[in-house]
Amino acid sequence: MAIQLQQVSYTYADRSMWKQTALHGINLEIAEGSLTGIAGATGSGKSTLLQLFNGILKPTEGTVQVLDVTITAGEKSPRLLPLRRRVGLVFQFPEQQMFEDTVEKDLCFGPLNFGVSLEEAKARARKSMTDMGLDLALLERNPFRLSGGQMRKAAIASVLAMDPDIVVLDEPTATLDPVSRAELIALLERLCREQGRTIIIVTHRMDELLPYADNWVLLKDGELAFQGSGGELAADPAILERCGLRVPQSLRYWQAAAERFGLSGEKPLLTAEGLAGRLAALLEERRTLNASGTEEMGNGHE
Amino acid sequence: MNERLLLGRSIDTGSWVHKLDARSKITGMLLYVAIILLSTSWRSIGLVAVFSIVVMATTRIPLKYFIKAVKPLRYLMLFIFIVQALSVKEGEVLWSLGSFSLHAGGLRMGAFSVIRMLFLLTFTALLTFTTTPAKLNQGLEGVLAPLKKLRLSPDRITLMISIALRFIPTILDEAQIILKAQASRGADLKELPLKEKARMLVSLLVPVIASAFRRAQDLIYSMEARGFRMDAPRSRYHRLRWGAADTLFVAMFVVLGVAVVLL
Repeated sequence: MAIQLQQVSYTYADRSMWKQTALHGINLEIAEGSLTGIAGATGSGKSTLLQLFNGILKPTEGTVQVLDVTITAGEKSPRLLPLRRRVGLVFQFPEQQMFEDTVEKDLCFGPLNFGVSLEEAKARARKSMTDMGLDLALLERNPFRLSGGQMRKAAIASVLAMDPDIVVLDEPTATLDPVSRAELIALLERLCREQGRTIIIVTHRMDELLPYADNWVLLKDGELAFQGSGGELAADPAILERCGLRVPQSLRYWQAAAERFGLSGEKPLLTAEGLAGRLAALLEERRTLNASGTEEMGNGHE
Repeated sequence: MNERLLLGRSIDTGSWVHKLDARSKITGMLLYVAIILLSTSWRSIGLVAVFSIVVMATTRIPLKYFIKAVKPLRYLMLFIFIVQALSVKEGEVLWSLGSFSLHAGGLRMGAFSVIRMLFLLTFTALLTFTTTPAKLNQGLEGVLAPLKKLRLSPDRITLMISIALRFIPTILDEAQIILKAQASRGADLKELPLKEKARMLVSLLVPVIASAFRRAQDLIYSMEARGFRMDAPRSRYHRLRWGAADTLFVAMFVVLGVAVVLL
């Protein structure tokens, strides 16, 4: 297990008049090398949960185990620097955290803090820039002179440059354009499938992650409402509604198609291409079945 | 959220002080500052202490919040104590080393100054504890209203103050997030040696200042987009109402002031 939470609760401003419990009794397991999506209505505790994964927040109750580090509530935690090298956390609006005078220096900040040599750090900076689809010429620029989308990508690159085993991202695709969004998700999937990294993504756009995620974690009012595969969600989308989420379009399309063509036993196809291909194949099947060609065709979409 | 920072944060317990008009509270606080400055004897400070403690107790706000309000200034108070203790050369000599000598009078003066400072801070914290920033501001506008006769705009001043107060917690929260983000990138303030800490502050200050400017810009645009004009007559969400309790509140301070001067 890459991450294991046992009966974890987190309360902000504990022991004061403004205390506010964000998470209650969470039990959660995230397998190594998996791609996990986390969803939940606003204020359901998603961001708080992420910050437990690299020891930025320590649980007020329960035990958080990440790789070989265990943080137990009320006990003195071990040194967290080695953990943070292995768990890269990309906060919301990461572009607002850049501070160096060149993009390159900002990308090297993480690796250098973790004791990597300057050359190695620069090599990693270049590699993560390429991974994020950014022009290497931008390395010499001041981060404040990049466009919003470029800044966002450079900031994500600055976490990837740390070469973490687990990458945790809080709404990384918000404010990105559709093309960059698809590219980022594709990159994260590659990191997961090809390099065996564990990827955890908080998202409000379940559609873009549904085709790729192995696992989903749904939160509701600080409690774990669901943990399981996208297939389980496709089989029973009402789970989503119970968590105060809208059923994503891809799931609704799949449901409609499955109902009409009797596909409910199959693995759900959650991309436009996949579903269109399947429907085209179905129509083709029917055409060959009715070789006479007089049978009327059903419309392929709802 | 930073629980140690209490500036501009009200604690609603619904006591009689909470219900007072912000103008009377501000007037009361100004009088209190004057009274503290005028109390130069132990007897008068004793009277002020009894008065302050009684008023603070009736707000039903737990004592620990008043203590927290003073805590950030504890080193300043220590400094005042030391300076007073070393510079006042009255009374018997308690201890001396070369040209330095510590007099009983110095210690007394030091303790006296610290106690005055202590009450000044805790009691004025009462103002922000019992008044929401919006009401405080409106009260301030009311108190500053006579400035209009001098062709100064109290609206302008209170707008600046309210924006500044409004953004303190926002900017602090933001600083906290940036601090966390940098900690995730291996620069945890808590785990770094002192020399590195200074360097880390740069990584905190640059993004915080950049975002403060961005915020200011956005705020201006959105206010203008909604037709905000300085000094335009506008209606208020809360109406200021001066009642008998307010007169009584201010009268209490006047009586205390007279008593302190006479003692």
